[in-house]
Amino acid sequence: MLRKVVTARRRALPGFVLCALCGLAEAAVITLRVSDSASGRALDSVVASLVPLDRGELPQPRSASIAQANKTFLPHVSVVQTGTAVEFPNNDTVRHHVYSFSPAKVFELKLYSGKPAKPVIFDKPGVVVLGCNIHDRMSAYVVVVDTPWFGISDGEGTVRVSGVPPGDYLLQLWHPRRLGLPELPPRPLRVMGDLAESVSVDLKN
Amino acid sequence: MIRLRLRWKIAAWCSLLVVALQGIGLILFAQIGRSSAIADARMEVATAQRVFDRQIAHRAAQLSQAARVLAADYGFREALLSQDRDTIVSALDNHGGRIGADLALLLALDESVVAGSIGLPQGLPARVHQLIEAVRNRQEGSGFAVIADRLHQIVVVPVLAPVPTAWVVLGFQVEQGLVDDLRGLTGLQLSFVRRGARDDWFLDASSLPPDVGQALLARFRNASLGGEDTVAVAVADDDYVTHVHALDIGEPGEAAVVLMLSLDRALAPWERLFRESAALSAAGIVIALLASAVLGGTIAAPVMRLAGFAQRVQRGEYGGPPELSRGDEIGELADAFSAMTGEIANREARISELAYYDGLTGLPNRAWFGERLADAVGDALRSEGTVAVITLDLDRFRMVNDALGHGVGDLLLQKVGRRLRETMRDARDQVARLGGDEFAVMLPGADLHRAQAVAQRVAEVLQAPMNLSGQVVDIDASMGISACPEHGEEAAQLMRHAEIAMYQAKRGNARFKIYDPADHDRNVQRLSLLTELRHAVENDELVLYYQPKVATRPDPAHHVEALVRWIHPSRGFIPPFDFIPFAEQTGYIKYITLWVMNAAVRQCGQWLQQGLEVNVSLNISARDLLNPELPVLFDGMLQRHDCPARLITLEITESAVLDDPDHALANLQALRATGCALSIDDYGTGYSSLSYLRRMPVSEMKIDRSFVMHLLDNPNDEIIVRSTIELAHNMGLKVTAEGVESEDVLNRLRELGCDLVQGYLISKPIPREQLERWFAESHWAAAWPDAGRRTGMAGG
Repeated sequence: MLRKVVTARRRALPGFVLCALCGLAEAAVITLRVSDSASGRALDSVVASLVPLDRGELPQPRSASIAQANKTFLPHVSVVQTGTAVEFPNNDTVRHHVYSFSPAKVFELKLYSGKPAKPVIFDKPGVVVLGCNIHDRMSAYVVVVDTPWFGISDGEGTVRVSGVPPGDYLLQLWHPRRLGLPELPPRPLRVMGDLAESVSVDLKN
Repeated sequence: MIRLRLRWKIAAWCSLLVVALQGIGLILFAQIGRSSAIADARMEVATAQRVFDRQIAHRAAQLSQAARVLAADYGFREALLSQDRDTIVSALDNHGGRIGADLALLLALDESVVAGSIGLPQGLPARVHQLIEAVRNRQEGSGFAVIADRLHQIVVVPVLAPVPTAWVVLGFQVEQGLVDDLRGLTGLQLSFVRRGARDDWFLDASSLPPDVGQALLARFRNASLGGEDTVAVAVADDDYVTHVHALDIGEPGEAAVVLMLSLDRALAPWERLFRESAALSAAGIVIALLASAVLGGTIAAPVMRLAGFAQRVQRGEYGGPPELSRGDEIGELADAFSAMTGEIANREARISELAYYDGLTGLPNRAWFGERLADAVGDALRSEGTVAVITLDLDRFRMVNDALGHGVGDLLLQKVGRRLRETMRDARDQVARLGGDEFAVMLPGADLHRAQAVAQRVAEVLQAPMNLSGQVVDIDASMGISACPEHGEEAAQLMRHAEIAMYQAKRGNARFKIYDPADHDRNVQRLSLLTELRHAVENDELVLYYQPKVATRPDPAHHVEALVRWIHPSRGFIPPFDFIPFAEQTGYIKYITLWVMNAAVRQCGQWLQQGLEVNVSLNISARDLLNPELPVLFDGMLQRHDCPARLITLEITESAVLDDPDHALANLQALRATGCALSIDDYGTGYSSLSYLRRMPVSEMKIDRSFVMHLLDNPNDEIIVRSTIELAHNMGLKVTAEGVESEDVLNRLRELGCDLVQGYLISKPIPREQLERWFAESHWAAAWPDAGRRTGMAGG
């Protein structure tokens, strides 16, 4: 069962709402503090994304890169906007065979070294698990979302998403340990200014 | 018989012992064998179960490993995650087939079935989810499960891409091949049994033969097997040590592996051992039987030999001892047998000696002589030869014996024996002492002529005076000669005839006489005499004559001696000498004495009734004196005939007492106790000692006629008569003299003090009628008509 605790600090909430309605307000910074719902401890690697309810014109996705160094994908967890082209530079001396069987993006980069000629375009939202066919222990997650506003929690469980225009969003949370589990129900979030929220993630259900 | 009994007894007991021991051994052996085999079988089953567990685990690990490798195959993963169902199914088939899986399933991470190599109408069993959970918890993802109604060993592995993105379930059906493999490894019968949804037990696979498998299922059906257990049970016709090992297959139903070790198989080595041991036992019993039979034989055979030896001894063969040179008890027994038979032979020889030899003279006795004579007669008859027999009787031996004592008599007999033996010229001639003073000589091969020559020689030899302990004795002998075959063809006959001849010689005062059949006739007469004598006693042919006695001094009483006479109806008067000695010889005298006694007492009684007081004396023989009934009978006669005892005097000879003094004296006392008087008859002819005389309760002594007849001519006789009368008077006895035939003698006797006289001078023995007349008419009877006083004792 999904259990979600949102403790919002609603400072001058009526003002934000007015600003949004008038469309004159400045982009806000959303700060989330994520903890494990079971233990209450800060949780890293939590992917948080704010998907606008109003699907208007979104900015073009930026490029991204997942490097391989020391037989490890870096970063381990990535989040990209749908349609992002991701580079897979190989910094190791050995070759890698990067693949994904995830439905959101099935691809493989057969044994290569250096930087492949073409980046891989992640054109569908979803979670893509990356592996190396040569090195079974190498793995990485790429969460593809239909929004440019997203972040990943650091070691202190903090996610900062900046430049978020005011408006209504669905806050979507994901964590690698929830792979294979149903999506956590998104949480509606109205952005009218900077916002700091505490959220918890259930890793089991 | 003895051989069989003893020998087979020993054998039977030994065998019984061996059989019992072997039997007990075999039973113990069988029991130990069985329990040991069962224990071994349990151990084996326990071991097999561990092997089974290891084997299943090993197989699971192998399968898991194979599945992991499979699940990591890029192409397989690519196909599985291709989202194309057909591709997925074909990949499952293909790659599952690579490692021999019977089924392959692809499950999503949420454990829902994505695709499978087989259809799953009943859905996925819970057991698979349990295994996935186990894998999630980093445990072994393998186990047994029922999928599509078949028991499978399944392996669950994640599909890593590279993180777990799906599950692959690989199933390996439990089938005959697995069972056979496991059976090969454990050596046990293996069965996978399972209870299905319909609550019925069935076999998934089994190494058992079908019928045994069904029997095993029956045991599960009736719940006599189940759970986790090791038991020895009978399944079908066989005993098995059975271990039931439950299998976790989750819901529904239950399953187990049954490991079975046939006890027959486990017992097989024991049974082989048992058979060998039993065969050994049987052989042992046979050997024991033979050995004990031999042993029995070694005991029985010598015993048989000893028995044979004993039988030979029984037949009188004392020959060599049984040949048993053994150191054991039987040897000792044989030695004892030898010693015993030696002693028996010695004793028998001694007994024979006693039986066949005369101890006094060392000569053979009558029995021996009779047997040898019989042999000699037999030889003579066979070889048409001759045998002569001489019997010899010493004259006046009794006188020598009485006068000089038994010791001298014995010496005389020894000397006669020696002389006889020395006289024999032929080695075959035999001398024997027949008894008393009677000897016999056997002359095998001799005819009458030679026998006569021998007899002549013997007579001459015996005539030589003999010095016996300083006493010189002259001896004569009478001999009779008989010869075979002239006088008989039997030993006893020859002996009898020789003896008859000998009596004839004695009677005729000849040295020897050859048997004359006429003598034999006289002998036969004697035999018929006995019959006639008996007849005479029974028919009162006997009569009493009375010879009066007269006192030398005035005496009012009459005295007579009663004497028996036989008036034979045809032969007329028979003198006493012709039948009294004969009656004494044959013992018939007893009846004659009783007859005489009765007649005399009766007569005495009758006379008394007539007023005639007559003292009657009568003669008692030596034999009568030994008749213990005589005093009672005599007393009865006195009573019956009313005769006072004092009127009766019983006359006995001195020598009558000598044969058996104790009994004779006792009888004399008893007779004396009746009140009668006792008298010693014929005093002087015997040689009795004074000591006997003193012990005899007599009151009278009669001097023998031989001393009285020549009283006046022979001074010696007068000395004897006088001293006798003095002796008698000194002892308080009355003296009667017999044989008084002249007045001179009578007068002399009166002078000498004799009390009574008797003889032809007074009267010869006369019948009763004459006596009564004599009482009335004779001047002797009236000699002291008025004497008044009876003279009894002449001082004292």
